[in-house]
Amino acid sequence: MTNLLEIHNIHTFIGQFHILEAVSLAVPQGSITALLGRNGAGKTTTLKSILGLTPPSEGQIYFEDQPIHGYRSFEIAALGIGFVPEHRAIFRDLSVAENLRIAERRKGDLRRKEEFIFSLFPDLKRLIHLPGTNLSGGQQQMLAIARALVPDNKLLLIDEPSEGLAPVIIEHMMAAIRQLSQEKTVLLVEQNFIVASQLAERYVIIEEGRSVKQGLMADLVDDPATIRRYLGAA
Amino acid sequence: MLRKYRLQLITLAVLAVLFIMAIQGMSAKDGLTIVIRGLSVGAVTFLVASGLSLIFGLMDVLNLAHGTLFMLGAYAGWTIYVRPDTVVDLIPPLALLLVGLVLMPLWPVLLGRLGRMPAAVWGWLGLAMAGVLLLISLPSIPIAAWSARDYAQSPVSYAIMLSQGQLQFPPAEATGPLSPAVALGGVLLAGLVLGGSLTVLSQRHRGMRVRGQATPPQSPPKGRRISLSHWERVGVRATAAGLLLLAGLLVLALNDNLTAWLLGLGTNWLFGLALIGGTLTAAALGGLMEMTLIRPLYDRPIYQLMMTLGLAVVGHELVVALWGRPEFTMPKPALFNGVGDGCPAESWAAWLELHCSTILVLGGRIRVYNEIFLIIVGLVVLVAVSLLLQRSRLGMIIRAGVQDSDMVEALGINVRRVFTLVFALGAGLAGLGGVLAAPSIGLSPLMGESVLLMALIALAIGGLTSFPGAAVGSVLVGLMEQFIIKYGQIGIPLPFLEEPFKPSPTLVPASTVLLMVIILLAMPQGLFGRTE
Repeated sequence: MTNLLEIHNIHTFIGQFHILEAVSLAVPQGSITALLGRNGAGKTTTLKSILGLTPPSEGQIYFEDQPIHGYRSFEIAALGIGFVPEHRAIFRDLSVAENLRIAERRKGDLRRKEEFIFSLFPDLKRLIHLPGTNLSGGQQQMLAIARALVPDNKLLLIDEPSEGLAPVIIEHMMAAIRQLSQEKTVLLVEQNFIVASQLAERYVIIEEGRSVKQGLMADLVDDPATIRRYLGAA
Repeated sequence: MLRKYRLQLITLAVLAVLFIMAIQGMSAKDGLTIVIRGLSVGAVTFLVASGLSLIFGLMDVLNLAHGTLFMLGAYAGWTIYVRPDTVVDLIPPLALLLVGLVLMPLWPVLLGRLGRMPAAVWGWLGLAMAGVLLLISLPSIPIAAWSARDYAQSPVSYAIMLSQGQLQFPPAEATGPLSPAVALGGVLLAGLVLGGSLTVLSQRHRGMRVRGQATPPQSPPKGRRISLSHWERVGVRATAAGLLLLAGLLVLALNDNLTAWLLGLGTNWLFGLALIGGTLTAAALGGLMEMTLIRPLYDRPIYQLMMTLGLAVVGHELVVALWGRPEFTMPKPALFNGVGDGCPAESWAAWLELHCSTILVLGGRIRVYNEIFLIIVGLVVLVAVSLLLQRSRLGMIIRAGVQDSDMVEALGINVRRVFTLVFALGAGLAGLGGVLAAPSIGLSPLMGESVLLMALIALAIGGLTSFPGAAVGSVLVGLMEQFIIKYGQIGIPLPFLEEPFKPSPTLVPASTVLLMVIILLAMPQGLFGRTE
């Protein structure tokens, strides 16, 4: 199994604060990898560093064996990396259709992917002309994921998809992520360990800006001591 | 639905009642005139306010130099309108300078062949060298200009001469020692050096910074990304540069014919060209300003505010240096300047025949250019920009970027380029407003300041980032101003005063501020602003 994404020892500052102090991880092709850790450990900053939204000041990031650190965010994204930010950050003033259309990188992207997207999230088809601000939390989250599926992305960075959603909707979301992971590689940040352990094949634990442990999710589930130590009681 | 907009509805109802009360206090004729004048002031304010609101909404930059762009647009428009010969003389050196800038994408390829990008110091050296080259070459290119000091050759005289329909231009003169061909070659070289040094300076930021020190930038990723499409882009640029060079030389060769042709067009067409030229000048200056001065300061809002304030002062001095201090006029185009028998026109049919400068509506005299044409242009711009925002992909990106520009960038969209485009668009609208306003308010180095103040008040009333808000706010500010001016003449009868209260002229600007204060007290986000 080759690695789609490799991060070697990145350091990221936000203003004066040293948020990431040596994060290294690898995301194998075709897998779901979960990024675990406590609040404020640096999970979201890791995702943003990959995309260059908070550019790392040291270290290397390779996507398909090519260096992508030091490039502008739009150049990195255009290589085939989709971002689903936390807090369901869709564009509220745009309609559902526009939220999808804005993600097109080539003309006709949306038309090619429409069928797949609506098969994952049938609700969106019904809501297509509504403004984003009228959608419920779950619908907004679905739209945020759908938006990342419009262009030909190889890697999806998904940040806290289950945050603040009802259990029924989380089930739906998990089913969708599982299905789309048959075509895409996913790096998932997830606070809810039960969700993460059911979805991901691999895990990376980040603590205080350092990647401290990574491996197969199956091994972690059988290791309550590690879970307690790094993720609190789970 | 009703609950959500309750406050808005109440405020609008109160404003409507006030409006009706104000209009009841005067005759129907006066009322109509005042409303039309208010709308026309609102239209010019809107052209400035709309750009300000787009720029503030997308980039969080409060551009205090926007009034200056309005003024520069007006002066550029005046120059095209009154001195087309000077503009024709200026085109060849400008085109040759642009050739170097258009060819900028060639530099990374050339420098990439040499191994690594040169250090920043070479960029600054190149910049200095281009400056020196321009200083040596430009004075040797023959240009016919006005003189700010000699009254007979000043902008004031040329404006008067044009309104009398007799323009005589001095021959083009060069003050430098070089031959024109050598000087033009120098300008071309300066443009190439300028493009190269700007490329070096902008590439410097691409490398990763380790503890404040820039490591050498990497070569672009190998393989599919940089391949055919890159060379295609270079080819397009080279073709564009070749065409520019050709156009510049053609204008140089046909200088006199072109000037004669432009003068033969008449004032109506020249005014159209002035509108386009003023808009493009302001847009180019705005784009340049964003790329070079505003961009490095996005993380430092206070510095940015100081920068735009400083640019406003620089722009003011620039205009004084180039066009001289005295205020002067821009004659109206023939379409709106008819006088004599049958004027003011009794009806629209009569106006279409005579093109009178005024028309009688309900017995009141209305100036066609100031009070009808300006409103129409304001409406056209309102519709055009709304369509751009609602229907085009660029508009969609702007609306999304107002909320979260990082997320737009993470979708693979070059937000920086969109920022530059929007800055240029906003500046262009201000420049258009400047040319449009020039025939009615005249040109002066201070013309931008009062408009900027009105636009800022309009923006605060409408809700800073709302485009419809900018339109409504501008109209409110314009109406308020005109009503107070009128009541300054006829007075407001108050029950506890012997004589009617007459607002003095100094109360006019104060009244618009008062309107803003009252609206902001009721709705701190402005009429159409949203709470975040």
